[in-house]
Amino acid sequence: MDNTKIVLQQKNKLSWILAFPALFWLLFFFFIPYLIVLIYSFLTPTIYDIKFEFTLQAYREIFEWRYIKSFLISLRLATITTVLCLLLGYPVAYFIARSSDKLKNALLFLIIIPFWTNFIIRIFSWRIFLAPEGTLNNILISLGIISEPLMILRTDLAVILVMVYVYLPYMILPLYAGIEKIDFTLINAAMDLGANRWKSFLKVTLPLSKEGIYAGIILVFIPSLGMYVVPHLVGSQESLYIGQIIAYKIKDIPRNWPLASALSFVMLLFVTILMVIIYKFHNRASKIKVDLNENIQKKEF
Amino acid sequence: MEDIKIKNVTKVFDGYFKAVNNVSLEIKAGELFSFLGPSGCGKTTLLRMIAGFEVPTTGQILIGNEDITFLPPYHRPVNTVFQNYSLFPHMTVFDNVAFGLKIKKIPKDEIKDRVIEMLKIVKMESEVNKFPNQLSGGQKQRIAIARALINKPKVLLLDEPLAALDLKLRQHMLIELQNIHDVVGITFIYVTHDQSEAISISDRLAVMNEGKILQVGSPDEIYEKPKTIFAANFIGDTNLIDAEVIAKYDDYIELKCDSGDGNHFVIDSAVPFNPEIGQKLTISLRPEKIAISRTPPEMQDDFNLVEGIVEDILYYGSHTHYIVRVGNLRIRVFDQHKRVYVDKTGIDWEEKVFLYWHDEDTHLINEVRES
Repeated sequence: MDNTKIVLQQKNKLSWILAFPALFWLLFFFFIPYLIVLIYSFLTPTIYDIKFEFTLQAYREIFEWRYIKSFLISLRLATITTVLCLLLGYPVAYFIARSSDKLKNALLFLIIIPFWTNFIIRIFSWRIFLAPEGTLNNILISLGIISEPLMILRTDLAVILVMVYVYLPYMILPLYAGIEKIDFTLINAAMDLGANRWKSFLKVTLPLSKEGIYAGIILVFIPSLGMYVVPHLVGSQESLYIGQIIAYKIKDIPRNWPLASALSFVMLLFVTILMVIIYKFHNRASKIKVDLNENIQKKEF
Repeated sequence: MEDIKIKNVTKVFDGYFKAVNNVSLEIKAGELFSFLGPSGCGKTTLLRMIAGFEVPTTGQILIGNEDITFLPPYHRPVNTVFQNYSLFPHMTVFDNVAFGLKIKKIPKDEIKDRVIEMLKIVKMESEVNKFPNQLSGGQKQRIAIARALINKPKVLLLDEPLAALDLKLRQHMLIELQNIHDVVGITFIYVTHDQSEAISISDRLAVMNEGKILQVGSPDEIYEKPKTIFAANFIGDTNLIDAEVIAKYDDYIELKCDSGDGNHFVIDSAVPFNPEIGQKLTISLRPEKIAISRTPPEMQDDFNLVEGIVEDILYYGSHTHYIVRVGNLRIRVFDQHKRVYVDKTGIDWEEKVFLYWHDEDTHLINEVRES
């Protein structure tokens, strides 16, 4: 007994030592910087900088319509992006998961290839592709499908297109990992018990790929909500993303660092609450229990 | 209750591999029928075609008069107990068993009553709220059976259902399965590579090898009168001896056996079929049918006697296993110990012994061994 206790304590110590570099990293490069952001959000802005005077001014300003509107725009585009990624990504992930090992590796490789090209370059190529005089319009006009160029660049549609393009692999990979773990004889079992293909998918495959779906949603939704580069390069100047507003408040004069900090902090809070909700939802195992006694009583009366 | 008819079914994989080769078979309603054979013999493919997971390349499968050859699995009056149980990991025992009824949109109260009734049959009603990963192998097995039977199928298919259990549990579950079969009374088709399982549980069984059915019969028929060398070897233990028919009489035939060292010995057999004189065939002699003694036994007419030298003695507790050299042949003999001291033969290594057995136990197989 005592010996196992000692061994366990030693194991604990060892795991702390191994975890220390990562914890140290998080502390100094994540937690402390965010603390600074939080502190800044309560300070007074000046044109170039800040004054160390406490105020709640930034949090009052957040509730102005232009910021709320920007937040809603971000939320809307991030949601559409996530849903599209899920709808497009699921069949792909499913197909890869059910392929032969050889094909599987080749397909996964193809999914990862875009990561090899710089993110900014890929977005710039989308600009060339979508521009009024760009590749897409040239092709469509020369084929006679349209006579006037489509104005896609600098619209929300462009933002969605590019974000789906950028984040699709982040949806496919966790979905694949989730679906790949499913024992496919379970689908045979469902069909054996009378479920057709669609019902076996709904009752067995889909619930069992839940982990992958949650992971994919988190990996796509959170970064697309805070996205700055894509709306900045291909989005409309009419609908500013929250990330763009934060950037302008930091670099453009008159600067307002406390407001930018407050916006960042509220975003973090929002995402955290969202994560907690998803987590709770995820862990809500079927709590509906069958009460044997109730049944027996029912039969007796 | 309806019979199952399998008519000239062939299944070809990848364009050339005949997993099942022109199999015809009738399984009677209410029977506990087994497909027995080594892995790759086609028994699982045959089962999957009855379940609907594979479609025969040619041939027909009927239940009663209904042709089910091309029906999808979810329209067949058949349910399966899968080899690794395939319980839904995200559902409780209750939801697993209720699955088929929920798909059929049966009222909730009725589902509950039927699930609990079914769980009582398999003695699992106390585990109703557990998830599959909280159950032992034997418990998962019971749930898999309950989940299949609750749909009141005409046929229950069991694909190596006991393969994942340990020996004691396997023996226990065999009895349970037989009891469940008695209670529900429907046709069970049981697939296994384990000959002891198949012969102990089945009403009838089919011995399969290389995509073909070699023999269909009751367990004792298959054991005592195997028609092929493969069946004789695969089911139980046997001694195979090459022989040639030298004389035929009314109720027995005389055979010349090659002892492999240039010598011959002659034994008799009560005839199961009518061979030609001079015909070459193979004798299958079960080790437990042979008696062994150090002194010459008092011989009767319908017994065979062979002399040999003891090469090996293996004590198994319930019986002793002798390996006796006759010429170049190695004859195995199982000597059952009925009583502690009386049975002691005192036979020793390299001792000369007499082997004797009844003519009826000299079983003839109309095949010649490939040398």
